[in-house]
Amino acid sequence: MTSIALGKYVPYDTWVHRLDARTKLFATILLMVAVFLPMPTWSMTLLFQGALLVIISILLACTKTPLSWILSSLKMLWIMVIFLLVVYIVVPKSENVLGIAWSVNGWTVYWDSFAEAARIVARLVMMIMIGTALTSSTKPLDLTYALEWYFTPLKVIHFPAAEVAMTISIALRFIPTLLEDTMRVMRAQASRGVDFQHGGLFRRIAGLTSLIIPLFVSSLTRSQELGDAMECRCYDPREKRTRYRLFHFRAADFVIAFFAAAILVGVAVTSGLHLDFFSMMGVTTL
Amino acid sequence: MNVVEVKDLTYAYTEEKIVLNGVSFSLEEGKYYCLVGHNGSGKSTLAKCLMGLVLRFEGSISLFGIPLSGKTLREIRSHVGIVFQNPDNQFVGSTVADDIAFGLENKRVPHEQMQGIIESFAEKTGMIEHLNHEPSALSGGQKQRVAIAGVLAMGPDLVILDEATSMLDPKGKNEILNLIHSLRKENPKLTILSITHDVEEATRADEIIVFNKGKIILKGKPEEVFVHREELASIQLGLPFFYQLRFALEEQGMQIPPSVKDLESLEAYLCR
Repeated sequence: MTSIALGKYVPYDTWVHRLDARTKLFATILLMVAVFLPMPTWSMTLLFQGALLVIISILLACTKTPLSWILSSLKMLWIMVIFLLVVYIVVPKSENVLGIAWSVNGWTVYWDSFAEAARIVARLVMMIMIGTALTSSTKPLDLTYALEWYFTPLKVIHFPAAEVAMTISIALRFIPTLLEDTMRVMRAQASRGVDFQHGGLFRRIAGLTSLIIPLFVSSLTRSQELGDAMECRCYDPREKRTRYRLFHFRAADFVIAFFAAAILVGVAVTSGLHLDFFSMMGVTTL
Repeated sequence: MNVVEVKDLTYAYTEEKIVLNGVSFSLEEGKYYCLVGHNGSGKSTLAKCLMGLVLRFEGSISLFGIPLSGKTLREIRSHVGIVFQNPDNQFVGSTVADDIAFGLENKRVPHEQMQGIIESFAEKTGMIEHLNHEPSALSGGQKQRVAIAGVLAMGPDLVILDEATSMLDPKGKNEILNLIHSLRKENPKLTILSITHDVEEATRADEIIVFNKGKIILKGKPEEVFVHREELASIQLGLPFFYQLRFALEEQGMQIPPSVKDLESLEAYLCR
């Protein structure tokens, strides 16, 4: 349970780590949007998604995130791959660009179905890679600050930006503590004969109940005590606070922000105008 | 000067469950007080009342001459710090430095002064090498040191330790108690109220307040309180080892002068 890779910070001192969290969050959102913009043809999809995959892979490699972490994050995607393949094969598809894969008793499956499933999986893989690059190179607290900074304009409509940021920061801070609690309760219940691994559905649900209820109670106690401790240390969400950590944009931040914006604009223009570079160059396109 | 004045303090969760029952006492500046009592005697509720976490009480509380009420909470809390029992549940920041900074941010200490204050209190509490460590990388004793550093960095005049050592192993407990005593030497005006059920810790206090069923039953210097053996035994409070030994020797006919107040002086007296 403690081996969840997505969201873990890797404490290296790379140029990606040194970028301002606000820049990284900005670039992450732009790249994620770029990944999801549709292309007019399969050839263009392959070209753009391939280029994005290369850029994202280079970024991720720069963060020095261990490959095993990335692979373990992607492991869960197998379920999604199988689900998508089943859906696309069962649901008939009218589009036929890539040809027929098989046709049995009037049930025709086109290669397009497989390509469509592959495109969605590729997008998810890239999303996870971008997310991992962000969280592995940015401390949760810095990320919280970045969120607060972006939420600040919403204060005019009374959006509680600082409170939301503080809530996220505390939630992130307590993830390891709650994981420890979970393991402790699991061990305690297992020593009393609860089996979380084997048995029928009802037995497993009963086992989970014996885990969830103590965990829920301990979380409530923790939150009450934490609230008291914060209040005693003069925390008042309505009052202004000074800041220990200050963040400053540097030249590299502007370069990366510009680079990410350029990628998104390039992809958006190509997608919006249905441009096909291959047919423009007179190459046969799919 | 009295830093705390409590008069006829009564607090009840329900009509039947009265937790504090007409408690009155005062704390003098610069003294180390121990509030002892067994579980459920109302000690922690008293601490919550002093910190203003519970305001629906009867009677009056004033700290540093300011009557405690919803309006004076912020002012009072800038004078008082509290360290709770569970070190995990009071660690707000994601690193040691951020946690010490939390109170300073709330007190609007300018950014330029923060690093100096953080380093100074991390140094005093022996956490200077762990400033960038996350709570998961620290032991219970270290987390409690961070909590103390965070509280002291805010410059309180009164520190309440609400069973701050009860979740620690003997080594961690001793470290924290030694730390508190060395901090008192540095700042003689600092008043400490330690809420505990550890009678050994109470032997080091200037004064002891014994609590039972929401009432103060004994108050005085350790040597004045621990002579009430039967009364303490009746509320399941044992005697510290020094007093057990002293009384055992006296029962054997040995005369021990009142100036002998701890194990070291007893050892010196016996070996004279």
